[in-house]
Amino acid sequence: MRLRLYGYHTVSSSLFVYGGNRNPGSTDRNCLTLIPENQCIDVRNLINFIIKYDYWFLFVLLEIASFVLLFRFNNYQGSVFFSSANYVSGVIYETSHQVTQYFGLRGVNERLTARNVQLELEVENLSRQLAEYGKDTMAITRLRKEALQNYRIVDAHVVNNSVTQANNFITLDKGSADSIQPEMGVVCGNGIVGIVYLTASHHSIVLPVLNAKSNISCKIKRTSYFGILKWDGNSSQYAYLEDLPRHSEFALGDTVVTSGHSSVFPVGIPVGTVDDMSDSHDGLSYLLKIRLFTDFARLNDVQVIAPLNYGEQAVLEDSVKVLLNN
Amino acid sequence: MIFLQRIKWFVILLLVQVLVLNHVHIYQYATPLLYIYFILKLNSQVNRKVLMGWAFALGLSIDIFSNTPGLNAAAATFLAFVRPPLLFAQTQRDPTENFEPGIAVMGFSSFFRYALVCTLLFSIVLNLLDAFSFFNVKTLLIKMSTDALVTLVCILCLDAMRRKK
Repeated sequence: MRLRLYGYHTVSSSLFVYGGNRNPGSTDRNCLTLIPENQCIDVRNLINFIIKYDYWFLFVLLEIASFVLLFRFNNYQGSVFFSSANYVSGVIYETSHQVTQYFGLRGVNERLTARNVQLELEVENLSRQLAEYGKDTMAITRLRKEALQNYRIVDAHVVNNSVTQANNFITLDKGSADSIQPEMGVVCGNGIVGIVYLTASHHSIVLPVLNAKSNISCKIKRTSYFGILKWDGNSSQYAYLEDLPRHSEFALGDTVVTSGHSSVFPVGIPVGTVDDMSDSHDGLSYLLKIRLFTDFARLNDVQVIAPLNYGEQAVLEDSVKVLLNN
Repeated sequence: MIFLQRIKWFVILLLVQVLVLNHVHIYQYATPLLYIYFILKLNSQVNRKVLMGWAFALGLSIDIFSNTPGLNAAAATFLAFVRPPLLFAQTQRDPTENFEPGIAVMGFSSFFRYALVCTLLFSIVLNLLDAFSFFNVKTLLIKMSTDALVTLVCILCLDAMRRKK
């Protein structure tokens, strides 16, 4: 058995020496310097086979790339590029939104007027009550300031939205440049919307209640029993409150609000009303059907709630987990 | 020139898909996936690897806009992979001939069968991949068939319109 130990140049020179005695295929062996002569033909067949069916390899490669993207769409910064928060798609959606938002202005205006009337009535009512309560108006102003002093509100527009997919996302026109960060809560005039999921510099993606991954801690406003708000993938008007203990008290029509147990939402943001009740699958807790206050299908203006001591509660809770694990 | 032509169709179909058609849900289900018209219309002699490359790029662009990374890319690549045998199974033409698939060249019934099989396969793969979050057999089947139907109608209309010009 002779081993071919030539480099490229030696083979070329040997070609020159042997001249016409060589068959044309021998140049293929230039790269296979360490393979015995009688196995060369098999390797060449293998290479021919690979070249002939190389589209299979490309197919498998592209599919693997797709699946990696499909299962890795996670909360890490790199994946922003593959979402509608990247610069090009963000700008295109924004332009499209600037055109299409005029079509909805009539409805928006009507709702605003209705809301305005309602608020005016409320203001009148409240100021009358306030007048009855007497002179200490400074105390009320101070209380209101205290309730909101830990939060800063950032107004944002919805530039892309869906309600019919299995996993819906909302794209906003504000991003980390407007100090929006992942894990911040998003609300609209009527109630809760979702949680900021990814941020680019001028756009961000919100994981709304209408997403399989959404988990928001909520409670019955009247009795304070709490559970987790989930979505079942069907109607955009309903979500489900899970893990409500068997002994909890509630009635159909009760209002459900955020519990304030997570650092994302402050306590008491309206979510919806109890529409129907049933037992959970394991029979250990109640499953409440919640009619959501927020109409996701025509969401336009939202507010992002940015806590000023952002992350303090989260850091505290993480450190407790670390302590317990040790 | 043919490259510029392709880029033009790529951009047009991409924008139409993400700005208009992705928001269409007839009876809550059917969404036209017109962008695969691009993959169906590439010439019959286009190399399979080039075909898959275009399909992957188009699918990924759609994904980037609709926040579903990998979903449309995987389905479109699959469609490009199976397209050559499907095309030649539905036409009497010589496999070495280079033509652009369409009603004008293939005749209505051949093109109809070709588009039907392609849209059906594509819609099945796409909806199966999408079903990882909520699995519901009835919804899945309805969505597969209605998506394919609406897409097929759109593709046939678009192709007939282009032939008239």
